[in-house]
Amino acid sequence: MGNPMLNAEPARAPVPPRLKGSLASRLWRHRKEYLAISPFYILFAIFGLFPIAFSMYLSFQKWDGIGRMSYNGVNNYRFMLTDPEFWRAVGNTLLIWIYSTVPMLFLALAVAFLLNSSFVRFRTFYRIGYFMPNVTSLVAVAIVFGTIFSNNYGLLNYVLNLMGLNSIEWLNKTWGIQLAVSVMVIWRWAGYNAIIYLAGLQSIPSVLYEAAKIDGASTVQSFFRITIPNLRPIILFTLITSTIGGMQIFTEPQVLAGNDGGVSGGGLTIVLYLYREAFIHNYFGYGAAVGWGMFVLIAIFSIVNGLFVQGGPTRGQGVK
Amino acid sequence: MATRTKSVLLHIGLAIGLLISIFPFYWLLVMATRTTSDIYSFPPKLWFGTQLLDNIGRVFDNVDFFGAFWNTLFVASACTLLVLFFDSLAGFTFAKFDFPGKKMLFVLLLATMMAPSQLSLVPSFVIMAKFGWVGTFKALIIPGMANAFGIFWIRQYAQESVPSELLDAGRIDGCGFLRLYWNVALPILRPALSFLGAFTFIGAWNDYLWPLIILTDERKYTLQVALASLNGIYVTDYSMVIAGTLLAVIPLILLFLFISKQFISDIAAGAIKS
Amino acid sequence: MVKTRMVGLCMLILAMIAAGCGSTSPTEKTKTLTLWYWNRSLDDGLIKSVEQKFPGIRINAQKIGGDFKSKLKTTLAAGSAGPDIVAFNDWVSELFVSSDRFYDLYDLGAKEIEPDFLDWKWNFGVTPEGTMIALPIDTGPTALFYRADLFREAGLPSDPEDVHKQLGTWESYLDAGKKLQDHFAGKVKMLDNVNNVYTQANAQSDRIYFSKEDEFIGDTPASSMKNAWNLAVKAAQLKLSGNANAFTSEWSAAMNNSSIASFVGAVWMKEVLEEAAPDTSGKWRVARAPGGDGNNGGSFLAIMKTSKYPQEAFEVIRYLQNPDNQIQSYKNLNLFPSAAKALDDPIMKEKEPFFGNQATGEIFSESARNVKPAYFGGKYSNVNGIVGRELTSVALQGKNPDKAWKDAISRIKKELLR
Repeated sequence: MGNPMLNAEPARAPVPPRLKGSLASRLWRHRKEYLAISPFYILFAIFGLFPIAFSMYLSFQKWDGIGRMSYNGVNNYRFMLTDPEFWRAVGNTLLIWIYSTVPMLFLALAVAFLLNSSFVRFRTFYRIGYFMPNVTSLVAVAIVFGTIFSNNYGLLNYVLNLMGLNSIEWLNKTWGIQLAVSVMVIWRWAGYNAIIYLAGLQSIPSVLYEAAKIDGASTVQSFFRITIPNLRPIILFTLITSTIGGMQIFTEPQVLAGNDGGVSGGGLTIVLYLYREAFIHNYFGYGAAVGWGMFVLIAIFSIVNGLFVQGGPTRGQGVK
Repeated sequence: MATRTKSVLLHIGLAIGLLISIFPFYWLLVMATRTTSDIYSFPPKLWFGTQLLDNIGRVFDNVDFFGAFWNTLFVASACTLLVLFFDSLAGFTFAKFDFPGKKMLFVLLLATMMAPSQLSLVPSFVIMAKFGWVGTFKALIIPGMANAFGIFWIRQYAQESVPSELLDAGRIDGCGFLRLYWNVALPILRPALSFLGAFTFIGAWNDYLWPLIILTDERKYTLQVALASLNGIYVTDYSMVIAGTLLAVIPLILLFLFISKQFISDIAAGAIKS
Repeated sequence: MVKTRMVGLCMLILAMIAAGCGSTSPTEKTKTLTLWYWNRSLDDGLIKSVEQKFPGIRINAQKIGGDFKSKLKTTLAAGSAGPDIVAFNDWVSELFVSSDRFYDLYDLGAKEIEPDFLDWKWNFGVTPEGTMIALPIDTGPTALFYRADLFREAGLPSDPEDVHKQLGTWESYLDAGKKLQDHFAGKVKMLDNVNNVYTQANAQSDRIYFSKEDEFIGDTPASSMKNAWNLAVKAAQLKLSGNANAFTSEWSAAMNNSSIASFVGAVWMKEVLEEAAPDTSGKWRVARAPGGDGNNGGSFLAIMKTSKYPQEAFEVIRYLQNPDNQIQSYKNLNLFPSAAKALDDPIMKEKEPFFGNQATGEIFSESARNVKPAYFGGKYSNVNGIVGRELTSVALQGKNPDKAWKDAISRIKKELLR
């Protein structure tokens, strides 16, 4: 850790390490430090670790929340794996994640790139404007976007009509709901990611670009050979954050389309499915099993993700 | 000349993006000034109406808006204060003190960030039920009052910016552990704290799923839950729902505009560091 | 010095939390009854009058928002934190399995007032074993809401009597829908959504999903399920639906914009419609529903076993639901009475401007008298949800109806084994 380590007490002759009880006395000497860091560990044990262990137990139980629990073997897991709605929720979640993350990160990159140009004025103003969606509550966002995507009075259909196209019942179509949810995610997070990319861009030493210019590289070339490789850790960071966020998406489809994920179920995401089965239908044991299923999916997904990102741009790095 | 065209194009591009970012806020404001029939009319009415005060009046008639506002403010402030206190204390300790098992404990702390939160929804509720905390603010505040991310964040900052010499000097002056934390470290940690505070506050203010499950009595609703139930129960009076949405959004936007400059650069710095 | 400040800060924070979560401790003299209900399920003014009527009783009335049922069920899981008196909606039968968590109202004197109430409604609150866990509040007799102006324009009957005579069966209603839509070239839809056709056709029957022994009967001829399914599928195939679900802003907008001409709904839809579609005031009428009279919803009051004052609680709910107070609640909140006597009150003959000065109370009273006593069973809403989702895919995604039916039945059978 590179830093000089200091004790709270003035340095004394060290207690001989092999004496019996020395560990206890050393621990006792540092009681203040332990006390200072203890709240987190205590809270995590009660509200983090215990729930995880308990959910493992619960996932093998049949429990409606009111009556007694009864052992259910692997039935919850079997039901989950054979329930088409669970797989549908998995599929929906993946689709919404792809529809939202890919355009979002590209947009963010583009915005960051534009903002980074040397001749942009009012940079602070733009940054605030782009960031504002991110502090708005999801419930509010879902209500407003509901009026934009509405079948009957929506703004989007109005724009379509202006262009001479027919109205679309967005919220009555699987892909329509997924699109609406994705647009919400993009709107709320593109600015946030752009700010992060911008910070990354600004941390790339300008010497690199100047050297490339001298070597006769075009803007496009230096983008792919300098900017992208240097941004790679940050892109990975945003990708991981949006993967975790995307897998847990809940509020947008719930407020927009209700507990079933809308008329055609297109917005039924995994967390919404979990919420519905546990808290609406009161299958608490099953809800715990779905939680574990989801955990496994996220783990697999993150690994694949990591491999993809790590593997992809290595070529770029070779050039550098 | 070429730079000039480029600059104009660039600003046009940025402005379009900005317009898209801002438009939903404008749209929310327009709808909040309209009657329900206006909102449902097609083609939509794109300019402001005159019903704003009327709509807001009905929000106040139907939900205890200020009650929900104070509840949210209370929960978010309490969360923030507690998080700041416990996280900075722990972060500072990790950064500047040595004690047996420190490395292991810190790795453990980082590992908890990977713990799957979606698993704990059902069991957490059961625990709250056993504690008798269902329907209380305790359930919203206490579980989150120290978090790994905040401790990690403060530790990173403290390592770089709290000079060990200063701590030594303080120690020579006879400062104890708490005094070093309170008088020496805290003032230096202020920028990191302000970011963590804003981050926690916004998160707590906008939290929805957990309060939705925990809170029962309408009088204890936070703004997000009140807003969602307004949307569910009074859906027929849509202009009122929209006005309520507007009211729920405004406080945070104001707070954000107030702190935005520092906050945004802190977020960016945080992402780069980790 | 610093330590005291630190301690002070901690104390302050703890005090803040304690203050925010503080609970009022009941004093010994007054008996506090906590009541859980949702907005508009009871008349707030009537609740306030309880404390005057019963000195020594304090009512702590808590309006529970959001999803009331899941809130109640999850709180039952919490054990001790429940209220004394709790309102149920029509999912009362889902709580039959937990009937030991509630007082048997027959033990508290409910037999005395049984004759005052409509039989079918009363029996909704009684378990197959004969335990009465819930006392009726209101009922939801159904009828056909329709736009007289649009019906007339399309050459359909527009007088409530004629509508009832000529559109008395679902088949004739759907045929009329086709005629109406042809006339308006698709600009107006006959009904709001096909799931409602399904739900309403079932609501007119006394055998839906379960026998009293809780056996699934949906796939047997005794049940109305297949018939209701077929009607809904037919409505979907004729494209009669505006694809708008009640309680969404879409539905409100469609009603207000005159793009839906009719729907079958319970009496409490009156209020929803009036608020949703102010621009169509005066153009609506109500007629007896195609297919017969039915009921949707209507709520109940129950007393939790954890209550310390069950007898007092019973006297309170008895007072809240006496026929006079039911009439008052109908006046104030449109809660349609479950007391038979209240159906003859002059208030049922009052003319309503929104419905072109028709006295819709007469139609709904008649409907209320003819509802068949159904048994819903503990898993009604889960099963109904499954069928509803399959129907939606038929209506909106063109899924093959036979395949959807098979999928629904097999999914239900799986659900019942869970």
